[in-house]
Amino acid sequence: MLASRIFKTASFRLSALYGGVFASGFGALLIITYFTATTALREQIRTEVQRDLHALSVEAGADGLDTIIQDINERIQPVSGSTAYYFLADASGQKLAGNLTGIALRDGWQEAPLDASTIKNPETSVDEDHQLWGQGIHLANGAFLLAGQDAYRVLSAQEAIINSFAWSAGISFLLAALGGVVVSQGFLRRIDAINTTSHAIIDGNLKRRIPVRGTSDEIDRLSMNLNRLFDSNQSLLESLKQVSTSIAHDLRTPLSRLRQGLEEAHLQNNKSAHKAAIEAAIIESDQLLATFSALLRIAQIESGTRRAGFKQVSLTDIFEQVADTYRAVAEDQQKEMKLLVEQGITIVGDRDLLTQMLVNLLENALNHTPAKTTISLSLKQSDAGPIGIIADSGAGIPGDERQKVFERFYRRDSSRSTPGSGLGLPLAAAIASMHAVTLELHDNEPGLKVVLGFK
Amino acid sequence: MKLLLIEDDKRMADFIQRGLKEHGHVVDHAENGKDGLFLAASGKYDAAVVDRMLPGLDGLSIVKMLRATGNHTPALFLTTMAGIDDRVEGLEAGADDYLVKPFAFAELLARLGALMRRPPVSGVQTELQVGDLKMELLTRHVTRAGQTLDLQPQEFKLLEYFMRSEGRVVTRTMLLENVWDFHFDPQTSVVETHISRLRAKIDKGFQTEFLKTVRGAGYCLRAG
Repeated sequence: MLASRIFKTASFRLSALYGGVFASGFGALLIITYFTATTALREQIRTEVQRDLHALSVEAGADGLDTIIQDINERIQPVSGSTAYYFLADASGQKLAGNLTGIALRDGWQEAPLDASTIKNPETSVDEDHQLWGQGIHLANGAFLLAGQDAYRVLSAQEAIINSFAWSAGISFLLAALGGVVVSQGFLRRIDAINTTSHAIIDGNLKRRIPVRGTSDEIDRLSMNLNRLFDSNQSLLESLKQVSTSIAHDLRTPLSRLRQGLEEAHLQNNKSAHKAAIEAAIIESDQLLATFSALLRIAQIESGTRRAGFKQVSLTDIFEQVADTYRAVAEDQQKEMKLLVEQGITIVGDRDLLTQMLVNLLENALNHTPAKTTISLSLKQSDAGPIGIIADSGAGIPGDERQKVFERFYRRDSSRSTPGSGLGLPLAAAIASMHAVTLELHDNEPGLKVVLGFK
Repeated sequence: MKLLLIEDDKRMADFIQRGLKEHGHVVDHAENGKDGLFLAASGKYDAAVVDRMLPGLDGLSIVKMLRATGNHTPALFLTTMAGIDDRVEGLEAGADDYLVKPFAFAELLARLGALMRRPPVSGVQTELQVGDLKMELLTRHVTRAGQTLDLQPQEFKLLEYFMRSEGRVVTRTMLLENVWDFHFDPQTSVVETHISRLRAKIDKGFQTEFLKTVRGAGYCLRAG
């Protein structure tokens, strides 16, 4: 099973291909070396033979055949290392001297197999290939002379070349294939880890993550990206779950109130009671609709489609306009509103949504603080970008609850009696995240400080 | 007034038609986009109420086509989507106003009123007057019965909107959109607060109250 999978992996195929290319390279090297070496050795033997033949024929021209016969007989004495062969015949073809038999009386180069019996050099083993390479010539008096060499040196060199190449090519191909198996097994193990994790997540084990080696190679990076994908997937699913649960819980109450009111009115037979019940029902359903549209709005903001319409907007203007609008509201609630805004601060964003974000944060401060509170709005430029702060001197939010207030429908126990849908802060958070604005809640000692880090 | 309603949902269409007729308007109803476009192209309507989602030809295309042929019948879009992009998209297509379903009938009536009586774009107006209430737009000087009123910038803007809509019902949402440019529903009584402050300045101490609250609908500025 694993073996067949290894053959199918990309890295194995790649290493097999690599081995193949490597072996072909060896092949080419073999052919070149083979021919170069053979040609050089052949030339060497040819030169030797020709020199020998030339010396003997010159001798024959000067002193006659007898001297050559004597000379040849001397030369064919078994001397260590000698691989020379000679053949001399008279004009009628009768052998006069030499250590060869059955030679074609033909002028020029000839290559013929050497009989084992005629191999005279005891040092050259009989096992090796032996071949006579020689050149024949007809002398002036009609006699035939052939000088030659045993070409076993060339032949064994050729064999040695082929053998060594065959071995090294075989070994290198084997090593490449083995390397391929090892590499692909390592690769496969890591892919398997990714697959196992994915399957576990598909099966509902959302918390599983792909192990990361920390080498930040390609697979590590892939794993990290997939893990990030799983993270966002998990948080989306969790928020979806939370929203569905919240909708079920939080919309039940107003819906039951609506139904109860209508039922009571139905039982009564009084026109003015009917009218009051209908009015109450309209108000109740308006609130329900407002909740729904706020949820929809959050979903649409989170989908991020509105980013396409981003423009340069003046944060200074937005802060000033919102402060001007709400100063009267604060005064009516006997609260003081302070504004400290630097001029000319702009960002790229959606003016409507940024206004709503600031309004929601400010209304949150107004709705959850007692009279005599001071609420301050400030905007200043910093090295990292503009910083907006909405701070109040109210009761604040304890540290462990600060993150929860961004959850949809979350209402702190202490604020159940104050107006609000529990969607104002989540909406502000969605707008902030769409603008890549960091939204942090801090202790204002006393009170709550909302810090907006614009980019 | 002669109105055209292009709406495929029968219940919604009946509700709108009945309401508009009760308020003295003549209403023609088209159930689909094609018929609607055909009727609207006649150019004999004072305003058109167009549903965004229609079978065949959608509301956006109808208004685009009308505008492309030079037909400027005021159009109000109705939509079920509380979309944040839809408003911009609708206005860009050439619609004059935009209302999300479900809505209070008073809201539709007020918005149609504003559309139909939109003053023709003429020479530059420098002064607005309602009864003995006068507003000089250039000097931003406001008087009632000759007495100077000291208004904050936002109060001035609010009053200007009311004076331009003299005698017409203006809803809370219309004020938020047109005076503050807020395209969302605030959770505090921001409109009510500003209205009561404006009212204290323009009506307090004078014999007749101009800025009236219209129960279940909104506000109306009217002399006497």
